[in-house]
Amino acid sequence: MAVDIALKQGADSAKAIIEQSLSNSVTVLGSETDRIMSSSSRILFLDIYIDGRYGSFSTNMLREEELRKFIASAVEATRLIARDECRGLPDAELYYRGDAPDLGQYDSRFETLTTEERIGFAKSVADEVWGKEKRLLSIEAEWGDEVEHSTYADSAGFSGETLQSSFYASANCSIRGRGQEKPESWWYEGSMFLDSLNLKGCGATALSRGLESVNTKRLKTGRYNAVIENTVSSKMVSPILKALMGGSLQQGNSFLRESLGKKIFGDNLTLVDRPHTYGLPGSRYFDDEGVATRERDIIREGSVCNYFISPYYSRKMGIPATISGPSVLRFEGPSVIQKNELSLPTLMQKAGRGILITDFNGGNYNNATGDFSYGVRGFLFEDGHKVHAIREMNVTGNIITLWNNLIAVGSDGRVSSKWMIPSLAFEGLDFSGI
Amino acid sequence: MENYQPLFGVSLEDIQKIIASALSTGGDYADVFFEYSTSDELTLRDGEVNSVESSADYGAGVRVVRNGRTGYAFSETTGMPELLRAARTAAGIASDPGAAVRQVQVHPVAFENRYRIVRGWDEYPLTARREFLQGLDGRFRAEIPCISKVICNLAIDDSRIMFLNSEGDYFCDRRPCTTLSVVCILEKEGKSDNISTSRSFRMGSEMLGHGLADELIREVKEKSQYIFDARQPKGGDMPVVMGSGSSGILLHEAIGHAFEADFNRKGISVFSDRMGKKICSSKINVVDDATIPSNRGSLNVDDEGVAGQKTYMVTRGVLTSYLHDRISAAYYGVAPTGNGRRESFRFNPIPRMRATYMEDGEGTQEEIIRSVKKGIFVDNFTNGQVEIGAGDFTFYVKSGFLIEEGRLTAPIKDVNIIGNGPEALADIVEVAADSLVDDGAWTCGKDQYCAVSCGMPSVLVKSLTVGGSL
Repeated sequence: MAVDIALKQGADSAKAIIEQSLSNSVTVLGSETDRIMSSSSRILFLDIYIDGRYGSFSTNMLREEELRKFIASAVEATRLIARDECRGLPDAELYYRGDAPDLGQYDSRFETLTTEERIGFAKSVADEVWGKEKRLLSIEAEWGDEVEHSTYADSAGFSGETLQSSFYASANCSIRGRGQEKPESWWYEGSMFLDSLNLKGCGATALSRGLESVNTKRLKTGRYNAVIENTVSSKMVSPILKALMGGSLQQGNSFLRESLGKKIFGDNLTLVDRPHTYGLPGSRYFDDEGVATRERDIIREGSVCNYFISPYYSRKMGIPATISGPSVLRFEGPSVIQKNELSLPTLMQKAGRGILITDFNGGNYNNATGDFSYGVRGFLFEDGHKVHAIREMNVTGNIITLWNNLIAVGSDGRVSSKWMIPSLAFEGLDFSGI
Repeated sequence: MENYQPLFGVSLEDIQKIIASALSTGGDYADVFFEYSTSDELTLRDGEVNSVESSADYGAGVRVVRNGRTGYAFSETTGMPELLRAARTAAGIASDPGAAVRQVQVHPVAFENRYRIVRGWDEYPLTARREFLQGLDGRFRAEIPCISKVICNLAIDDSRIMFLNSEGDYFCDRRPCTTLSVVCILEKEGKSDNISTSRSFRMGSEMLGHGLADELIREVKEKSQYIFDARQPKGGDMPVVMGSGSSGILLHEAIGHAFEADFNRKGISVFSDRMGKKICSSKINVVDDATIPSNRGSLNVDDEGVAGQKTYMVTRGVLTSYLHDRISAAYYGVAPTGNGRRESFRFNPIPRMRATYMEDGEGTQEEIIRSVKKGIFVDNFTNGQVEIGAGDFTFYVKSGFLIEEGRLTAPIKDVNIIGNGPEALADIVEVAADSLVDDGAWTCGKDQYCAVSCGMPSVLVKSLTVGGSL
């Protein structure tokens, strides 16, 4: 209906997405239920194109009269901006067309969960540890479940639907540390399917991670080998992905400009997009514009194989469109290809002596240069074993140099994550401390 | 005070019925928060304003509190059946179906309007906004030679809020917030880099006057003169001089979050048992303030009906107040401080900062820099973070200078600084008399996004860990 209204009011073409979501969460503090939340949401996203002009609009006021008024005002606003001939719906050959098999994104168990069950799940996480460890000051356990249903339609005839469920449990422990300090630790488990969610051990894992982090020491400023745990290793991948986005490249705000087809990284870096993987988060047949997804190598053995180019940036930059962003990102290292088990301790052993990063504390990077600097938490390790926890340290460098110093890739990517990035070992990173 | 009952299609009697339903299972407290927010954005890229965005968000949230515990639900329509359903869902936090019915005696919350609009945006139509952005783009390109791209975004946000709670506190408030952001991409001798800046106020279209364009261009121009010479410095522990203004990020991260009383109620803050104790130099007063006219962090009333106010967190070096919402205030047996805030009607309120700054000390920035033999000077930041329990905080420095023998020397950029909140606060050894609240578009992301601001006089922190190369 929204597309029809936009066309009748003067748009040349239009695209609409209705996103409906239902979500519930329960938080338990210690042994008491602390918060119960329930929500239902429905939002319309509408893109309008008029004579090379483009506007993007959203509203949750969906009664017909309100919608007509909103769209009339949207059309009027779009008419008043500058033309950009590159704007428009995707070219016909880019669209997803077909009736491909289910990607296994929805668990109907969502529909029958009760508040009592949710409270029970959250309490079971807290009960694993609450009252059983003197140094534990508090535990906040959370249960959450959500379903998102999106419906797509545009004036070129594209239509599609996606339905995804998600279930998660998390635990956040506060522990008596040195002096006034009360260090926190967390653990998270998530799945699209209730039965696959590994609830057991969530609270205990959070506590044990906290207890081993209590007696922290600062290390001397220096160059150390580093292993980045699978829970946070995606932090070092996201700058690469952003630098490969059409928007960054076209604006010249990318440290990977003019990198297509060039060998930028080491042989052991291979990143691929596998969007049609059954039962994994992020799988999809089309992106938000209806452009069909397909398996793509992003980086193969250090060479950049694909940028993320939407139809707009394709026209703007004069290069073929690919996809607006990754779907199911996978890391293929020698260990993954050869199906070797490469666990975190093995990686630490390979790295010899160094710093295991288990969490980042702030920091940022420069998208134009690739320079980065992040605060880190973790452990000093030697020969595969943690020696002691560390605190107040920064790791600083450049993303391209970092990935050229990759020593080894783990085989422990977490399936709960859309980007299944495993633990990674790097050689010679600059850490600052005392 | 405006009346938004027609906007939301409910009467005060209707809202009282919702409150009664919310309390029907024995809740101690309930509130209903109505919101209609709009956002209109124009973006200039490649020399043209070629993208317009608008959004509308409408709905109401119902909260029930029982013994400090929260039940919350919202509806995106404001018909009575949907609102009563939300009230019953939120009431699930309590379990006494025989609770006595309580009558709410309604009384308006008295407040001062801190965001008066001189000239509304309807008097400055889209075509005029487009011309402003194109003029700004032209001036950037004309005055800064190495600019290759300019991205300007003008975002005009406007929220209409209506609120009633079981204490009878009732208010309607209209909250404007306009943000102008600029990203410049610069190129020189094959190298590329970027400089960002922004200004954000609770003002109308008069914001675009007052020399705003001159100010932004001056700022970017100054940074463009040394950005290609700047390097990541040698890392390690060193004295850090923080320039006045945006250095307030230190306060926000190092102590502000740790003073938010939900963390303290849960016993997880590093400052949980420091109330009334001396935590830093007597030169230091730290304020969280909702009363600065037109400031991005200011509030007429918070999101649970408490009038905006100025709260001294640290007075002459002594911890004097946490930042409270109603739940934490009840827990500590004190009055709420007006810090109960929420991102939108979809969220329950929690203690959040507003404009957090340090008051003036004595002396000048130049004197402080002269006192440092070897260290760094920083005054431009992008983001920060804190681990509340451990007290470790960080902030990312976009640009600054080395200090050598009391003088600013080589430019530096892109380094993270890390410290421990209580230690860093105690390590502030000099405070200048140049306190300034920064007017950038600061947004805090503690579970929910909230507009805030921060400020600081120039200070010397004896030692912080600066990221960098060897």
